[in-house]
This record gives sequence, structure tokens and C-alpha cells, in this order.
Amino acid sequence: MSGAANPVMPSDITINADPEKLAEFESRIADGVLIEPGDWMPDEYRAMMLRMAEHHANSEIIGALPEGEWITRAPSMLRKLALTAKVQDEVGHGQMLYRVSQELGKSRDDMLRDLVTGKTKYHNCFNYPCPTWADIAMVQWLIDGAAIMNQKTLADGAYGPYVRTMNRINMEEAFHFKSGEDMVLTLMSGTKGQKTMTQQAFDRWWPISLMFFGPEDKPNAEELPPMKWRMKVERNDSLRQRFVNRFAPAAIDLGLKINIVTKDEKGFVTSTKPDEAIKLDDSTGNWSFTEPDWDEFWRVIRGNGPCNAHRVALRRLSYEQGAWVRRAIANEEVAVPPAA
Amino acid sequence: MSKIRETFINFDADLPSPTPDHRQWVVYTCKRAGAPYKWAGYLEAPDTELALQYAREHYGLDEACIGIICHDHTDGTDGPYGLEPLLPGEAHGDDGDCWTVFTLVHRGGNHQTAGNVKAPDADTALQRATSAFADGKIRSIRVVKSDRIYMTNDDESPIWPTHDMTYKLAKGYSKNVRAKWARFRDERTYEQYRKEDISKHF
Repeated sequence: MSGAANPVMPSDITINADPEKLAEFESRIADGVLIEPGDWMPDEYRAMMLRMAEHHANSEIIGALPEGEWITRAPSMLRKLALTAKVQDEVGHGQMLYRVSQELGKSRDDMLRDLVTGKTKYHNCFNYPCPTWADIAMVQWLIDGAAIMNQKTLADGAYGPYVRTMNRINMEEAFHFKSGEDMVLTLMSGTKGQKTMTQQAFDRWWPISLMFFGPEDKPNAEELPPMKWRMKVERNDSLRQRFVNRFAPAAIDLGLKINIVTKDEKGFVTSTKPDEAIKLDDSTGNWSFTEPDWDEFWRVIRGNGPCNAHRVALRRLSYEQGAWVRRAIANEEVAVPPAA
Repeated sequence: MSKIRETFINFDADLPSPTPDHRQWVVYTCKRAGAPYKWAGYLEAPDTELALQYAREHYGLDEACIGIICHDHTDGTDGPYGLEPLLPGEAHGDDGDCWTVFTLVHRGGNHQTAGNVKAPDADTALQRATSAFADGKIRSIRVVKSDRIYMTNDDESPIWPTHDMTYKLAKGYSKNVRAKWARFRDERTYEQYRKEDISKHF
């Protein structure tokens, strides 16, 4: 599962940088010049870039958890190989993004500790359950598809180390997406039971995919630091519209129904009704759709989603269980590892 | 699914004391004989042996390649990242140790090996590398003492040679996905034809 960087970025920051240096910095960014680590940058830029890269790194390693659970239950050897490779990719993306973050001034251990103690966040979409194999297919098709759309724009950002890492990551995300598309096509070519399972998974993941890009930006987003400094280059709503334009017709082609759903506290769908808003506007070329439940989005981001506690607990268990290994390979004294 | 993943875990104790970060390594891979080694990514490892092992396991599996090199991040010295392409300098000499030179064609791009220079220290190596490799097309130069660069294999044989890696490449799925989409759309067209045929003619 991929974790695109979509933290809710602060926009009302005060910039205390030298005005002359700041003007030169902003002029470079406006000219499309990429910022490299040795270049001067405002402290606020460094802090926001760190927050973004750290959030992205956290998302990659937390995102590996729900898919990792399915490696032993993959339906064929090929799917098992592909899923194993994908989970390895995601953890590798975390590795690279933590390195980018370290260069911005925070130690890896501090980042891992902040993650497991809830001081920092990861992408909201990883706080939902994956109860069936079809959920894994949907995650790879919809969430990785959304991640590619988002990360392609992030690769057009202004911070050199993040940009080169995005380019590298996007190459692998293409495999994740294509593998997911193949899985969805296979399931929708299968038995009635498989089609039902896929529809149920689609009902769970469609609204999460719409939330993936984050809430609507402020009207003056282009003038605020995250966009002005090209940390992000496209509005959340614009990305969401492009996602719907790409995936709504594909889902309909596959025979999937796009529904408005209600969910229980465990993330399972309790009721569905067809989304009557889904239709193509010929004049704009855009598909209209019903907005997701933004109250749910904020509830989950504040830690009250179906899987928040479980994901962080599992990550914390790994951190605690791995501490003696980290010490041992660094030739430090180690105690008996704690029992699982 | 393992029980640990199904059971909710409560933590009563504090976190274990912090562990220091391991050494940061920069990894480059070579795709074919004679090609430069290009930046592939980073990893964290306490020593050279594990760094090479991790590099092989991770970056060797990522994409087919015939060689991997890595160096400790702190062993690399980067020159300034120019806003304009770097022009050749005038520092020359062949005294001192051997330094491997990496060049960066554009900001945000990836460093790749370009050659070697000899120099007594990193700053001189950067100056001499600028003379030798700055041709008005590169933006930055990195130098690393050659004996601080470690290689996984030097026989130019593919790493993981018996591994069919098409399952982890997007193009490995393209043919299947295209065929499945074609079948879906054919079936839909047929269904439409059948419905229209029934409603209009029978």
C-alpha cells in the first residue's frame, strides 16, 4: 500500500527569514530551480519539508502492515511473490524517505519513536481494515492509483532530494497499480461470489480513495507557503477530480456500482445506495460525484478510526521487539528480548 | 494471520531507551556492462558487510542490475549545486589518493559515476574533478575516496540471475491487463447487441 504525502499542512505560519534571502529563494522556486540540501532555505521551509517527508515515510511503513498480513494468504504463488515484492518496495520507500528527513535534521530513532507514541501521523487511509483479498486488490488499484497521481505532482516539487526520491518511488508504484488492476480484472472475471466480494471491497475503498487527496484547500492556497514554495503543486480538489475521471468510468466498465455508503465503527459498510451524482458532464469532460464524509475523515485523522490503535500498536511492538537487534548489530550490550 | 496481528496489544511500560541511528549509506546500481553506476537510494546499516548485504537484498531485487556500489554518506563530499552548468576549472595534478567522481546533470537528478581523479584531500579532489569533468553540462560534483567505496560483485554477472522479476514490473502485467480489458469490453458490446437485438427484432 502506498503512502503519498498528504499531511494537512499549516498555512498560517509566520516567516522570520532574512527578506533578501527569502526573496531570492522564492524567485528561484518561481523559476523552477530545485532546492538542494546545501542551498539556503527558510527554517519554516525546512520544518514543513521535514514534516511532509516524515509523514510520507511513516505512511510507507505503516502502509506495509495491512498488506503484509495477506502475504501468507495470497491465492497463488504469483500473487504471493508480487505482494511480497510490493511490501518490500513500500518499506524501501520508507527507508529512502526517512533518509531525506534525516538530512533535514531529525534522527531516524526520533521519527520512529514519535510515530509509535502518536506525536506524528501517517496517511489516514491506512486506518481501515482489509478483511478480504479483494480489499488488497482495491488498495493496489485505487489507493496506489491515487498515490501515483499525487506523487507524480510531488515529483514536480521544488526540493531536490524529495523529487529524486519521488521519481524513484513512482517507478515502483506503477507496478503496484498494474498488479492491482490485474487483480481487480481477475476477480471481476470470476465467480458470482468473487464479484460480490469485489463490490463489497469497492464500497469500502471508494470513499477512502476520495478522501485520499485531503480536504478542500483554502481559496488562496496558491499564495500560501505549501504551494508557493512548490512543496505541493496541485490543489487537492483538482487531484480528486482527475482521480474520479480516471477511475469512475473504469469501475463502471468492470460492472462495479458506485455507491454512497454508511459504515460502522469497525469500518464495515452497513448500508449502500447508488451515487446518483455519478455522471459525465460532456461540457467539462469531468465526472460529477458525491463528496465523501468529511466528518469521518477528521474523526479518523484525530485517531478514532477503525484501525488507528491497532496499526500504531503493531508498529510499536516491532520497535520494541527490534530494539535488541538494533543494539546487537551496533555492538552494544543487549538484554534478553521482551516476549511477544 | 498470526495471533499477534489479531490480538490488540496494550503497552504498560515506557518505550525502550533510544537507539542511535546506524550509518547512512548511499547506493548506486549499474544496469549493464560499461554503463555508469547511478544513484539508486539509501540504506541504513552499522557496517560495510551488512550495507552490502542489504543493498543486494533490496536494490538488487528492485531492478535487474549487474553491479552495486555503496559508500558511507559521510565519505561523500558534494561541491556546490550550481544554478548554471559548471564550467571547467584550472586545478590539475596527479598526486595523492584516488577519488571516484560522481556527476549530477540537473538539480533533482541522480548522481552517477564519471571517472577518477587523484588528490590529497576532498577539496582538491573536487577542484580537480571540476577541471576534468565539468563540461558545461553538469550541475554538481561529488567525490568519494575510491577505497571507501564498496562493491557487491565485480564480475558483471547479473545479481539474482535466476530470478524472473517480471512479476514486479508494470510491464509484466500489461499484456494480461490489456487482454482482460478487451474481453470485458467485448462482452459488454455483445451484451448491448444482444439486448438491442432482442428488443428490436424478437
